[in-house]
Amino acid sequence: MHAKQTTAPFSEYTPLPGTFDEVFEARDKPREAFAATVSLINAMGAAELRTRQRLAGKALLTGGITFNVYGDRRGGVERIFPFDVIPRIVAAEDWEHIDSGLSQRIRALNMFLADVYGDQRIIAEGHVPRDVVESSTGFLEKMVGVRPPGGVYVQVAGIDLIRGADGRFLVLEDNLRTPSGVSYVLENRAVMKRVLAPVLSKIDIRPVDEYPSRLRNAISSLAPERAGDHPRVVVLTPGPYNSAYFEHTFLARRMGCDLVCPTDLFVHDDTVFVKTTAGPQRVDVIYRRIDDDFLDPEAFRADSLLGVRGIVRAYARGNVTLANGIGNGVADDKGVYPYVPAMIRFYLSEEPILGQVETYHCENAAERDHVLQNLASMVTKDVNGSGGYGMLIGPRAAPAEIEEFRQRIKQRPRSYIAQPLVELSACPTWLGDRIAPRRVDLRPFIVTGRSTWVLPGGLTRVALAEGSYVVNSSQGGGSKDTWVLQR
Amino acid sequence: MISRVAECCFWLHRHAERAESMARLLRVNRSFLLDVNLPEFSRWWPVVIVSGEQERFAEQHPDESARNDGELVQQYLTWDEKCPVSVIGSVYWARENARTIRDAISLEMWESINGFWHWLRRGQGRRLYGRDRDAFYQRVKESVALFQGVCHNTMLHEEPFDFMRLGMLLERAGQTARILDVKFHLLGPSTSEADSPVEAAQWVALLRSCSAEQSYLRRHRRLAGAHVARFLLSEPLFPRSVFHCLERALNFLSRISKSSGRGDASSEKLAALVESVRVRAGEQLTGAPLHEELTRIIDTTMDVCAAIHRDYFDPSLPLDEQAA
Repeated sequence: MHAKQTTAPFSEYTPLPGTFDEVFEARDKPREAFAATVSLINAMGAAELRTRQRLAGKALLTGGITFNVYGDRRGGVERIFPFDVIPRIVAAEDWEHIDSGLSQRIRALNMFLADVYGDQRIIAEGHVPRDVVESSTGFLEKMVGVRPPGGVYVQVAGIDLIRGADGRFLVLEDNLRTPSGVSYVLENRAVMKRVLAPVLSKIDIRPVDEYPSRLRNAISSLAPERAGDHPRVVVLTPGPYNSAYFEHTFLARRMGCDLVCPTDLFVHDDTVFVKTTAGPQRVDVIYRRIDDDFLDPEAFRADSLLGVRGIVRAYARGNVTLANGIGNGVADDKGVYPYVPAMIRFYLSEEPILGQVETYHCENAAERDHVLQNLASMVTKDVNGSGGYGMLIGPRAAPAEIEEFRQRIKQRPRSYIAQPLVELSACPTWLGDRIAPRRVDLRPFIVTGRSTWVLPGGLTRVALAEGSYVVNSSQGGGSKDTWVLQR
Repeated sequence: MISRVAECCFWLHRHAERAESMARLLRVNRSFLLDVNLPEFSRWWPVVIVSGEQERFAEQHPDESARNDGELVQQYLTWDEKCPVSVIGSVYWARENARTIRDAISLEMWESINGFWHWLRRGQGRRLYGRDRDAFYQRVKESVALFQGVCHNTMLHEEPFDFMRLGMLLERAGQTARILDVKFHLLGPSTSEADSPVEAAQWVALLRSCSAEQSYLRRHRRLAGAHVARFLLSEPLFPRSVFHCLERALNFLSRISKSSGRGDASSEKLAALVESVRVRAGEQLTGAPLHEELTRIIDTTMDVCAAIHRDYFDPSLPLDEQAA
């Protein structure tokens, strides 16, 4: 036992066959850019790594870096998002490619939103079918003709990237409404500085800490004109029992602005006010973490208890800036996703820098037939599903599940897309007694105000179960710190 | 500041103060019972009364003998999550308020209260409770003291801080008044100035329940019921006396009123209460008059809290009135 503890943690590491390994080219052969990190961790030894992994868990718990799981009698149990001390590392030149690809994609998606809620040129010119847009549950008729300040709809985006067997980064999905997870990026780094300082001090990586001030500056730059030089910015949360409440408090604290609940706000004369101990005060910019549907019982779901009555009117009048804008769901609809490369070509006259996963939309009869014939080898997704729910992974599904999806697709073809199974890349991961390859994805965050900025790194989620492809925290996923190497 | 956040600041510190006060009370009572031989009904039941938990406790433990069961009472006032003033209940609510306003409190405060909560909740606290009860209550007191100290040393001393102190001081004033009042309720009014040895031990226990023994002895050489009562009620420089707490609370409330430009009603009420306690500071109150005075103070403090609520936590909205 003792002999095993003092061995180098990577000494028995074997990459998964047929899968791109983020760190190792082959057994005992780390990629050149990562060799230094591997040898530093090896020098630390397995016993030390185990201690440091335990310290990380404790730091996360004391720090309350948790998400809420519903169902407990007191409104929810808090869990830490399992964290792995082995970092995911991205080489500098890979990052440059990702950075420019994401900026390009966000520019196009913003222009798409401005267009579908404006003149709808892209539809008129036949690049995106009208019914694909209009049948999207994210398309909000009421928002047609409303133009947000600066024409920016997507101030914050989280775009999920995966890496196929050939190592190419591909866009898996766009999250343009209220993407979450950025607090873990910052907290994971803070924890790594505590527990892996000997390694971090010798590896030159790009910092992530400026995210909150970048976000605040970006959304402040889009404030209504009357707000002047010092707009009042607030973060709007559904409340303490929301699963991402930790993140909402984290962002408010780090952005240096107030965190408010819907009941703290009210609308008078198409202007949003916050109730303070000094009386009502005008609010100019709201970074809101409440979905469109629940935002305003007057405009959308009348049964919403989370909303602020009249806020949509204030927004439409240009009296308050909302980040993100209302109606973004049409642009991150999984049924609209296949058309994003066409958007990039149409609006920017550029070729897409980042590839994406080949996608079949079941609404199209020919594509549907292909999907129905190949269900057993494809990944099929409900276009309205998220968090790893409403998904069929053909090669791993029982025949009965496949049959069930076949029936569902036939009943509601608009609701389903299918993609070939991508062999997600794997990253060395500490399993308590050894390091083994586990599959990962990457969610970078993109902030847009008067210009666009990509947070160097992002949230690496890892499927902790052996052989699993599902990285979602609700389904046994964990996270890693993501290191983007300095050039 | 946001009204809801102000309310959370206020309650965060009320609950933290309650946890500390409960731990102190239970610890002192344990040691007191080792010194004197009391009839069973006077051993633990007074502690339940001071906590205002007679009804809930009787509901959960209808058997009369439960009142005399020291272990049961301690268990209830320490660990019962349904009891809002139990140690664990108070810490739960303190932490819940802290969690709600994490962005408004310092990181150190959050880590302090959150670490304390996990210590209580995850077995370590229970193990210490089973092994060394005194050390457990001591640890609770220290954890709250740490939390309050960290707050004092890491927060900007502006409005949120003022609401925290206000909550802590009003809670503390009420606790001291209630502890003093229980003497009337169960131990009966003092019979004479020359108190019996048992009674003297009770007065010492009372002082210890307020961490006041040493301070008292610096002011008075002799233990006498009337002196103890006066000390806990009106000694201006003792940090747990009713008068001191109320006067300090008024200081914070005045600051809040000034910085927000509102809230005259609550400040005026509190100022009147402080003045009324000051005026009677020279009187040697015992027995029924003391009970009446304490009842008046407790009730008026509750009125003040209601006025603070109206002034700051749930103010009417002038804009709505215009619209109507």
